[in-house]
Amino acid sequence: MFLDLTEEQKLIQDTARDFAKAELEPVAAELDQGDDRAPLMANLKKLAELGFMGLNVKGEYGGSEAGVIAFSLAITEIARACASTAVTVSVNNMVCEVIQAVGNEEQKMAYIPKICSGEYAAGGFGLTEPGAGSDPSGMSTQAVRDGDFYVLNGSKIFITSAPYAGVFVVWAVTDKDAPKGKGISCFLIEGGTPGLIIGKEEKKMGQHASATNELIFDNCRVPASAMMGKLNDGFRIAVAELTGGRIGIGSLALGLGLAAMDHATKYSTERTQFGQKISNFQALQWMVADGYTELEAARLLLMSAAWRKENGKSFAKEASMAKLFATESANRACYSAMQMLGGYGYTQDYPIERFTRDVRITAIYEGTSEIQRLIISREILRNFS
Amino acid sequence: MKLLVCIKQVPDLESRFKPDAAGVWYNETDLAFRMNEYDEYAVEQAVQLREKLGEGTELTVLSIGPDRVVEAIKKALAMGCDNAVHIQDTAVSAKDPWQIASIISTYVQGKNFDLIFTGMQSQDRGSAQVGVTVAEQLGFACTTTIVGFDYADGTVTAKRELEGGIKGVVKLKTPALVTCQLGLNVPRYPTLPNIMKAKRKEITAIPVADLLTADLLATTTSFHPPAKKGGGIVLEGDVGELVDKVIAILKDKTAVLR
Ligand SMILES: Cc1cc2nc3c(=O)[nH]c(=O)nc-3n(C[C@H](O)[C@H](O)[C@H](O)COP(=O)(O)OP(=O)(O)OC[C@H]3O[C@@H](n4cnc5c(N)ncnc54)[C@H](O)[C@@H]3O)c2cc1C
Repeated sequence: MFLDLTEEQKLIQDTARDFAKAELEPVAAELDQGDDRAPLMANLKKLAELGFMGLNVKGEYGGSEAGVIAFSLAITEIARACASTAVTVSVNNMVCEVIQAVGNEEQKMAYIPKICSGEYAAGGFGLTEPGAGSDPSGMSTQAVRDGDFYVLNGSKIFITSAPYAGVFVVWAVTDKDAPKGKGISCFLIEGGTPGLIIGKEEKKMGQHASATNELIFDNCRVPASAMMGKLNDGFRIAVAELTGGRIGIGSLALGLGLAAMDHATKYSTERTQFGQKISNFQALQWMVADGYTELEAARLLLMSAAWRKENGKSFAKEASMAKLFATESANRACYSAMQMLGGYGYTQDYPIERFTRDVRITAIYEGTSEIQRLIISREILRNFS
Repeated sequence: MKLLVCIKQVPDLESRFKPDAAGVWYNETDLAFRMNEYDEYAVEQAVQLREKLGEGTELTVLSIGPDRVVEAIKKALAMGCDNAVHIQDTAVSAKDPWQIASIISTYVQGKNFDLIFTGMQSQDRGSAQVGVTVAEQLGFACTTTIVGFDYADGTVTAKRELEGGIKGVVKLKTPALVTCQLGLNVPRYPTLPNIMKAKRKEITAIPVADLLTADLLATTTSFHPPAKKGGGIVLEGDVGELVDKVIAILKDKTAVLR
C-alpha cells in the first residue's frame, strides 16, 4: 500500500496552492460581496491556461492527462481560497469528462478543447428540473424529432455557470412512453442557440460568484447531430458522470473545511480570555482534534475513490461515501470554526462566515446526503440479498 | 549554446523550525520543501533565454540533495528546462558553500557551458556564496543580485540592484555566471500538461562521491532560535495616569519627545 503522492501530483497540488494564494484568495471576499464577476472570469481563464479545466482529459482534446487524484487535490486547493471558483472548475472538468466519455470524435473536438483552453469560460451541466431534483429520471423537458432536428421544450433549474457557459450538456425526454429513465437522451447545446433562454439567477446563501440559473427551452431547435451517445441512453450517462463529479464536490468541501479549521486554530492561539490563550481550553482543543480528524478521514476517502476511478475500478459506492463524509465533516468543521472565533466568526471581517455559507450547498448539490446514503446502502445491501 | 541553472530545494519558510538532534541544522521531519525563491527567478530567466534562442540551445537544471529534490527538479523541467542532473547527496546540509560550489564546478568542468544562472542566495542558509564561488573556481565572469537581464552575441547585459534603490548595468562576456534577485522577473506557474510531460525528460543521477573532491572550510556548529527578548511593559491604571506614564517613558527611552 502506497499512500504518498507522486512528484507530479505534488507539483500540481503546489501549483494549485500557489495560484490560489496569489490570485484567488485576494479577490474571494470581493467576489462574494460584489456583483462584478470580472475577477472570476479572469481567473478562470488563467486556470484554463494552466490546464485545470481538463485534469483527467486526454492531451489530444487539450486536457492535462493528470488523473483523478490530481483533480481532487487541485479542487481542494482552489476551494481553500475560493469556493465559487472551485465549483466552476469542478463542473467544467465534469462536462469535459462526460463529452470525452460519450461524445463522438467530432463532438469531442468541437467542445472539449474550447473548455480546456478557456475559450469557453465554462461548460454547463443541465440535468435538474423544478420537478426533478433528487429524482432526475422524472424530468419533463422534451426533445421531439423533426426531420434532421430535435426541438426542445421545457426548463432546467439551478444550472451552474449558465450565463457564461459556451456549451451545455442537456438531458431531455425523447421517449415519453418508455419506462422511467429509459427514454432520456443527452444533447450538446451551445450557449446562444435560439430558443435556449438563460432565466433568472438565483439569490443564494453562498458561492455567490458562481452563477446558478434557470434554463428555458422554447422551441429550441438543434441538429440531430447534437445528440450525444445513443438515443434513449442518456440517463445512464448522467448517473455515471455525476459519480465522478462527487469526487470534485467532496474535494471542494474538504478545502473549505481545512481553510476554516486552519484559520480558527491559528486564531485560538492568538486570542486571550480569562488571562490565557483560548487554545488552552480543552473545549476548543477537542474541536481542533475532531475537526482535523474528520477532515483527514474525508481526505483518505476522497483519495481512495479517486484512486479507484483512476485505476479503472468500480468507484460509485466509494465516491458517494467520500462525498457524504467530506461534505458533512466540512460543514461540522465550519460550524466549529465559527464557534472558536465567537462573535468575530459571525462577522464578515473574518472569512469563516463566508466558508460557512459556501460549504452548506456541498451536502445538497450533485446528490444530497440522503441520496448518497441511498446509493451507498443500495450497493451494500445488494451483496446481502 | 549551453545553459545551466543551479537550484536548491528549501523548506517552506512559513514552517516552524526546530534544531536537529546534533543542534547544528534544522530538523527536516514534517517540513514541506519547495524550490528556493531566488532559484525560481534563475529558472525563469534561463527558460526565457532558452525560448528566445530556440533550437540549438540546451538548458540543464542541476540540484544537489536527497531524493526529495527531484520534485524541485521536475518543477524546473515543467517550467521549460530540457534536462536535469540530480547530484545525489543525503548529507547536503553538512556541506559548506565551498564544497557545494566545488561539486558543481567539478560537474561543469569540460562540459562547455556558456552561461550559468543561480539564485542570489538560498532562503535557508543565506550564504550567497555558491554562485560566486562556482564562477571563481571555473574562471567565469560573474555578476550578482541581478534585476534585469539581456543576452546578445556572447555578451550578457545585467542590471544590478545597488544600495538605496540605485541600479547599475554590467556587461559580461560568456562564459559567465549570474546570480538572480527578486524583481528580475515573475516566475511562471508550470502548466499541468508540462508537469506531466516533464516525466519524459531525462534526469541524470550522479552520486555526490563522484564529484566531491574539496574539503570542508567552514562548519556550522550551532543552530538555535534567538534568545527570548524581555517582554514589553504592560501599563495599568486610569487613563490620565497612563498618559503621564507613557509620556515619561517616551521622554526617557526614546527621541520622540526630546
Ligand atoms: C447552487 C446550486 C448549483 C447547482 N448546480 C447544478 C448544475 O449545474 N446542474 C444540475 O443539473 N443541477 C444543479 N443543482 C441542482 C442540485 O443538484 C439539486 O438541487 C439537488 O440534486 C437536490 O434536488 P432538489 O433541490 O430538487 O431537492 P429534492 O430532490 O426536492 O429534495 C428535497 C429533500 O428530500 C430529500 N429526498 C429526496 N428524495 C429522497 C429519497 N429518495 N430518500 C430520502 N430523501 C430524499 C432530499 O435529500 C432533500 O433533503 C444545483 C443546485 C444548487 C442549489
